Amino acid sequence: MKAIIIGFGFIGKRLIEVLNQKISLLKRIDRSFKVIGVSDSRGYIFNPDGLDLKVLSKISGTHEYSRYFHEGSSLDLIEEGDADIMVEATPTNIKDGEPGLTYIRRALSIGMDVVTANKGPLVVAFRELKRLAESRGCHLRFEGAVAGAMPIFSLINECLQGDKIIKISGILNGTTNFILSKMHFEGSTFEMALKEAQERGITEKDPSYDVDGIDAACKVVILANALMDRDVRFEDVERVGIRGISPEAINLAKRANYTIKLIGVIDRNLEVAPKLVPLNHPLCVHGTLNALHIETDLAKELTIIGYGAGKETVSAIMNDIISVMKGRLAGQSSLTQS
Amino acid sequence: MTLMLADRPGELLKALQPIARNGGNIISIIHEREGATGTYVPVSLIVDFPSYENFRKARMALEDLDINIIKSEEVVERVRFTVLLIGRFDLKKILEAKIKDLKITGFEVSAPTSKEFCVRLNIEVPKGEVDSAVNELKKISREENVLFISSL
Ligand SMILES: NC(=O)c1ccc[n+]([C@@H]2O[C@H](COP(=O)([O-])OP(=O)(O)OC[C@H]3O[C@@H](n4cnc5c(N)ncnc54)[C@H](OP(=O)(O)O)[C@@H]3O)[C@@H](O)[C@H]2O)c1
Repeated sequence: MKAIIIGFGFIGKRLIEVLNQKISLLKRIDRSFKVIGVSDSRGYIFNPDGLDLKVLSKISGTHEYSRYFHEGSSLDLIEEGDADIMVEATPTNIKDGEPGLTYIRRALSIGMDVVTANKGPLVVAFRELKRLAESRGCHLRFEGAVAGAMPIFSLINECLQGDKIIKISGILNGTTNFILSKMHFEGSTFEMALKEAQERGITEKDPSYDVDGIDAACKVVILANALMDRDVRFEDVERVGIRGISPEAINLAKRANYTIKLIGVIDRNLEVAPKLVPLNHPLCVHGTLNALHIETDLAKELTIIGYGAGKETVSAIMNDIISVMKGRLAGQSSLTQS
Repeated sequence: MTLMLADRPGELLKALQPIARNGGNIISIIHEREGATGTYVPVSLIVDFPSYENFRKARMALEDLDINIIKSEEVVERVRFTVLLIGRFDLKKILEAKIKDLKITGFEVSAPTSKEFCVRLNIEVPKGEVDSAVNELKKISREENVLFISSL
């Protein structure tokens, strides 16, 4: 299997490191596995015989691998590369899904399997991409795009196949959980806790994306569309952020054995809002952790807890890549994660 | 409720139909033979209706069938939950709100010295009214420009 990686930033680079570390595992599944192309905003590197993962692990931008570097767009790599799978990790843009949306559309339409960590295209065009993947017989997997390393799509699609999903709720943004945990345990103000989160580099460039619940609302949209057969858009999510949470409010909550968490809820309604969470509830996890609580007709209640962002996300991307490899070998079973 | 049913086959079934049609879930049926008059026997039922409205309709339908209801008593299951409101507002707005049978069973306000006013309310409403109560509280909070936090 020949792979290309579009986006060579935090996630793209971590993925290359892990592919390098775990190449023997991948080769055991498919002896022909190789990475033939990598792109970023400046251009792409391409070698149809496979790129050296050790060299790729050491460079900071594609232009540094001058022997195989081409100035040009990622689309050229997608169209000319003749790859079997594209891993897409370009920046998230929830207004029009670009540039990822164009890359994913193109890859699927020429029959390439796609693994993405990017919420943008999924928020903007989930149905369209799902249909396109199905019509071309391609895989479209996106475990890393929602709740990082937590295997929510695999869990529901593979382990709860006979269950009807009634409700999904949870902490879908690690930054706001970090802020609210600081406020709960240290009595910090919102402003102090946000500043500390920024200093630690765990906020998005625009903190509004985290603290106003935009990121969590995008995840609510993807979960609803992919797991609960809905056809909803970002605007359908009722959204309140955490800027208004005062230390006094946290204190009052604490005195009644609650804390406040930013919770995304998907049932008949779609909501992201601060909620009182009992201190002994399984969703009551702290720091940058994420948690998801699933309610179904048969299993009743399940909770998964884990890292919703950061280098741990590569775990989800690796599992997606391996699932695609195995799916191809087994004759393409389930194609999309919904 | 206790119904006076004619002591002949089929009467109980006739009485149960309007109850079932109105969503009543029968928890128990007791024939009170010792209270029988010869032609009539009292039958006591415990039924769980989804709402008061269903209960009222079932009772009317029984009356339409000329079934004598000798006792009917309603026990409403109530649910408690906690909410938090951040910002200054008039608590009377909540007490006067059109929330069916709302009781505030407890509250705590932030210290008078704190910058921001906030209040935690323990609320009790009939089961089945929780969603509409939360929606009404949300609406009031929006009107009063207060941040409303419900529990999970
Ligand atoms: N970071 C996380 O913890 C995390 C977790 C889960 C999901 N994600 C998602 O994964 C994706 C990648 O995140 P990241 O943290 O790796 O972002 P990042 O560090 O900003 O990297 C983005 C990469 O995309 C490249 N790029 C930008 N515009 C492009 C274009 N038009 N064509 C081709 N490449 C382009 C950038 O190129 P240059 O280097 O030349 O600028 C960079 O290499 C995002 O959608 C993010 O939301 C991230």
